[in-house]
Amino acid sequence: MSKKNTQKNSSNKRTQKTNKKKQKNQVTTTTPLTAWINQHRNSIKFSSQRLWLNPFSTWMTLAVIALALALPTGLHILLKNLSSVASNDGENRASTISLFLKPSVTAQRALDRSELLSERSEISSAKLITKDQAIENFKHIQGFKEILATIGGNPLPHVIAISPDLSVIAESGQTIEGFAKSLKNESDVDNVQIDLEWVQRLRAILNIAERVTLVIATLLGITVLLVVGNTIRLNISGKKREIEIIQLIGATNHYIRRPFLYEGVWYGFFGGILSLVIVHFSLLFIVAPVETLAKLYDSEFVISGVGIIIMLKLLFSSALLGLAGAWIAVGRHLQQQSKRMNR
Amino acid sequence: MIEFKRVSKKYPTGQLALYNVNLRLDAGEMVFLTGVSGAGKSTLLKLIARLERPSEGHILIGGKTLKLLSDQQIPSYRRNIGFIYQDPHLLDDQSVFDNVALPLKIAGISDDEIQHRTQAALEKVDLKNKSTRSPQMLSAGERQRVGIARAVVNKPTIILADEPTGNLDPKLAEDIMNTFAQFNELGTTVLIASHDHALIEQMNKRTIVLQKVEN
Repeated sequence: MSKKNTQKNSSNKRTQKTNKKKQKNQVTTTTPLTAWINQHRNSIKFSSQRLWLNPFSTWMTLAVIALALALPTGLHILLKNLSSVASNDGENRASTISLFLKPSVTAQRALDRSELLSERSEISSAKLITKDQAIENFKHIQGFKEILATIGGNPLPHVIAISPDLSVIAESGQTIEGFAKSLKNESDVDNVQIDLEWVQRLRAILNIAERVTLVIATLLGITVLLVVGNTIRLNISGKKREIEIIQLIGATNHYIRRPFLYEGVWYGFFGGILSLVIVHFSLLFIVAPVETLAKLYDSEFVISGVGIIIMLKLLFSSALLGLAGAWIAVGRHLQQQSKRMNR
Repeated sequence: MIEFKRVSKKYPTGQLALYNVNLRLDAGEMVFLTGVSGAGKSTLLKLIARLERPSEGHILIGGKTLKLLSDQQIPSYRRNIGFIYQDPHLLDDQSVFDNVALPLKIAGISDDEIQHRTQAALEKVDLKNKSTRSPQMLSAGERQRVGIARAVVNKPTIILADEPTGNLDPKLAEDIMNTFAQFNELGTTVLIASHDHALIEQMNKRTIVLQKVEN
């Protein structure tokens, strides 16, 4: 059972010697850095073309990624806005203590009192609602116009709406109730009403909502990873033959992996952009009702949109998720192929 | 330059493709490898290209043992080999030019250099005027020549051809063999597996005959 090789003709030795000399001139060198840059440029071009040339599947994937990212992003922005309402500082803060002044107090005196109070460190802001403004507000509430007409005159007092600085109050060792009681001792003040309970409840709800958002963001982040991973896996299946051929020609695993990684990054990045567009339009849709609600709580609250920091964070995270998904998909394929070849 | 020392290859299926093969090819030599079907011609070429591993024995290329190549070194080793298959393994969704340029892109060569070298390779195989076409629009002979152009575009030191004229008519087969001879004239080592005895005789080069192993 032996294999025999027979040398049939002897080769031309002189030709071989001249050939050896000629071989030396065959090698063309490219510096490793230039080669690396050229390979990346080709990968970027190739991966972008692949997305561009398959618009339907690209948009489908981007839409899934965008929807998955828009939900936690939208929730995060809503929570951020609500937090600013419930926080101690900031322009959006709602009043929490109402000082009802005595009926004898004039509008000018009420204004002076309001300005005096606003200078106190425990008070973030003090806003005067005159009895005329109050009755005008009442008239806009359905049914009250008729009631006020039967009463005749204006029975309402001037009110100073106070937003306390809770941290300063806490530092001075007081409670909010104690502070409110001290305000009752001020001259011209007839009655004090603390309206803090809803803020405390809102904060408790926000704490829960923040955690829920974190869980949703994690789950949907994993979804993005899987969607990109699966899309890249399908693309690899479609390019199996091509991958095998370029491996025969001498392509490294890095070379094979690179365009797919860029593809994953593009999916994540453009999916992120699309999700920002969705969030932006969703916020526009709720701006008006939120402002109406804020006015009912005597707040100047205006919903804030997607800031540049959130935008950058989202795009970076989504691109990273895309990269990770692609990395897993290509890595798995190359690992399986390597096992097959080493068998 | 290429040396086989007591090389055997047994596939996982139990099939013994090569047994105790010893051979030597000098640099710049053009050699034919012949034998009956199943004699192990393709296996021998695949062993040189490191597409398969020997079960026993050593293969030395340029004095270095192939077995010692790590997985990371294999791609760069393969870039020095131009492998031509009976089915030229072309990418039908890419143009003739892009198929031929593939090894240069893998090597990270600049666009200008790719343009220049690919056109030169296509000119050598007389396909410059068909560079923008899809390989699907070419005849069998032209497809084979695209495969040859791709194999030589990176200026490999070794060309391995597995039945490159298997599907071609005698005239085309002769043309392709002459193309190999031209590359050999430029200093490239050429090893061609073929069972076309008439053509081998005509080329008047050294011939290695492989005998089928009785399993």
